[in-house]
Amino acid sequence: MATTRRRLRSPLDLILSNPVALKELRGRMRGPRAFVVLTGYLIVVGGFTIIIYLATTSASLSTTGEVDGGTVGRLLFSSVVAMELFLVTFITPAFTASAISGEHEHQTYDLLRTTLLPERSLVWGKLFSALAYVVLLLLAAIPLQSIAFLFGGVDVPEVYISFITLLATATLLGTLGIYFSSLSRRTLRANIMTYVTAMSIAIGTAMAVIMLLSISAAAERNAISKAAEWGLLLLQGLFVCLNPLTTLLISQDLLINQQQIFTFEHEFTDGTTATLPSPWIIFTILYLAISAVIFVRTTWVLKRIDD
Amino acid sequence: MSEPMNPPAEGIEEMSAAEALKGPKFAVDIDETDLIIETRALNKRYGKLHAVNNLDLQVPRGAIYGFVGPNGAGKTSTMRILTTLMRPTSGEAYVNGFSVTQQPREVRSSIGYMPDFFGVYEDMKVWEYLDFFAACYEIPENDRPGLIRDLLELVDLSHRRDDMVDKLSRGMKQRLCLARTLAHDPSVLILDEPASGLDPRARVEIRELLIELAKMDKTIFFSSHILADVSEICTHIGIIEAGEMVAQGPIKEMRKQLMPHRVIIVTLLGQIDEAKEAISQLPDIQSITELDPEDNKPRLRIEFSGEDTGVSEMLQALTTRSIPVVNFAEESSNLETVFMKVTKGIVT
Repeated sequence: MATTRRRLRSPLDLILSNPVALKELRGRMRGPRAFVVLTGYLIVVGGFTIIIYLATTSASLSTTGEVDGGTVGRLLFSSVVAMELFLVTFITPAFTASAISGEHEHQTYDLLRTTLLPERSLVWGKLFSALAYVVLLLLAAIPLQSIAFLFGGVDVPEVYISFITLLATATLLGTLGIYFSSLSRRTLRANIMTYVTAMSIAIGTAMAVIMLLSISAAAERNAISKAAEWGLLLLQGLFVCLNPLTTLLISQDLLINQQQIFTFEHEFTDGTTATLPSPWIIFTILYLAISAVIFVRTTWVLKRIDD
Repeated sequence: MSEPMNPPAEGIEEMSAAEALKGPKFAVDIDETDLIIETRALNKRYGKLHAVNNLDLQVPRGAIYGFVGPNGAGKTSTMRILTTLMRPTSGEAYVNGFSVTQQPREVRSSIGYMPDFFGVYEDMKVWEYLDFFAACYEIPENDRPGLIRDLLELVDLSHRRDDMVDKLSRGMKQRLCLARTLAHDPSVLILDEPASGLDPRARVEIRELLIELAKMDKTIFFSSHILADVSEICTHIGIIEAGEMVAQGPIKEMRKQLMPHRVIIVTLLGQIDEAKEAISQLPDIQSITELDPEDNKPRLRIEFSGEDTGVSEMLQALTTRSIPVVNFAEESSNLETVFMKVTKGIVT
């Protein structure tokens, strides 16, 4: 009887069969907190959208005398996504940095460890519940992103790309939060470690991209070898694809200028071209792969028995 | 050091007169050779501190084993090793036949562990708390509602099923924690100071619950520094001090070994010399001393090493000689005395 029922389970049942995921989701959605955060998030993103709208329309009017719908639409869309990125970067670690250290603080960690719950289920349950809430935030902001459609200049694939990129960002930050949480007994410490790491990645890769851009500009003037040009391009691409903001900017730029979603053409100084994958694809693969490595590492940390 | 545990405990029959008066709290046949928890030369060092020192713990199946010692004696360290939460520095530990270092999963499914703190999630309802832990013990979803109902009934919390955990009193939280340890029907309960911090009423409730669980064939291994709790319900005790086992074995054996004499206090209305003479003629009398009279009634303190029949003969000897006895009572050899006798007061 039990086995036949199990076979008929939906994917949702399977996820909810993870006791930690079920507990966390219940806890998160209980009481006013989840709704307060969601409302606050929408007010911030919505308010920001209005400011951008007012600023861009008046700016467009003053220069050309009429509103350039495409520009306003794209700017509005990019601003909303950037704002979401900013908020996701702050909210996700806040959810996961307490994942394990919080269990220590509530003195429930030892109880969990003496049950038969596998370490991976603990990590997965914590990560899933945090990401589920981030997905809720991202979905809730889609109507705000869609205001851009009224002005044109933005296409549906851009919405998908931004959603995937934001989710991959949240996944990495989420796993990073749980990892630091498993290393530290204090949530505050885990939070700080996660934010510092996230900021270092964001600022470090952005600076690397800027530096490499100026190097390649200089290199183009000095006609370097094709191999060197390839090397520079790949290095530049790697840093672009390690930063969600540059990934989004360049993917959007490619989408607008080349109408290409998955690939783009790169022209070398000698006039030859190469077809390369769009940054958001590499970004997603990289972020999910790093997340997987951190996930496994976290389960190792948790498996360790105190000496 | 490990105490030899020769004759098996024989349940109610062997209870002393003082214990029998209290009425049997718990009685069961225990096979002293069937050990459910066993450690061999277990050591735990934290730097220079020797928290557990060559500990040979022997808990027979079905026992209520009181692990007694002052704070800092190594009780919690031992329990954390037994519950797979900490690795021993050296030595071996087995629970239900499984090695705690080699087969942690098997050990975990054999034990229910309650640490010396509550460990409750505040944002959960009482039934959700039990459901969560039942799920962590891989109990199928369909079996959980019935299980939760039974567990709540056992710990008398059925009426609080839908309340938030943080609304419960301390005693109730402790009972909820105890219910949690039972979710997967483990054979051993390892309870670290289950009665600490509870008010007297809650303490009695926990004690009754432990007796109830022992009747359900659970072995209970619990630590305490409150000797009254231990002496009232335990079948076995182990006394640990500075990481070393000072004495362990069935509680009756311990009393016999450590307090070999029974002490009987007789209060008379007079004829004290006749009484002394009558008693001194009986066998197994170690000493007779005259105590200060109480309300002008003379008293005798008799140290005696015989059995219950001897005690009854003593009373008979006095009454057949028409010596006016007003009170004839055995001074119960309490555990506190045993404890004070074996421990040296060293706390690490």
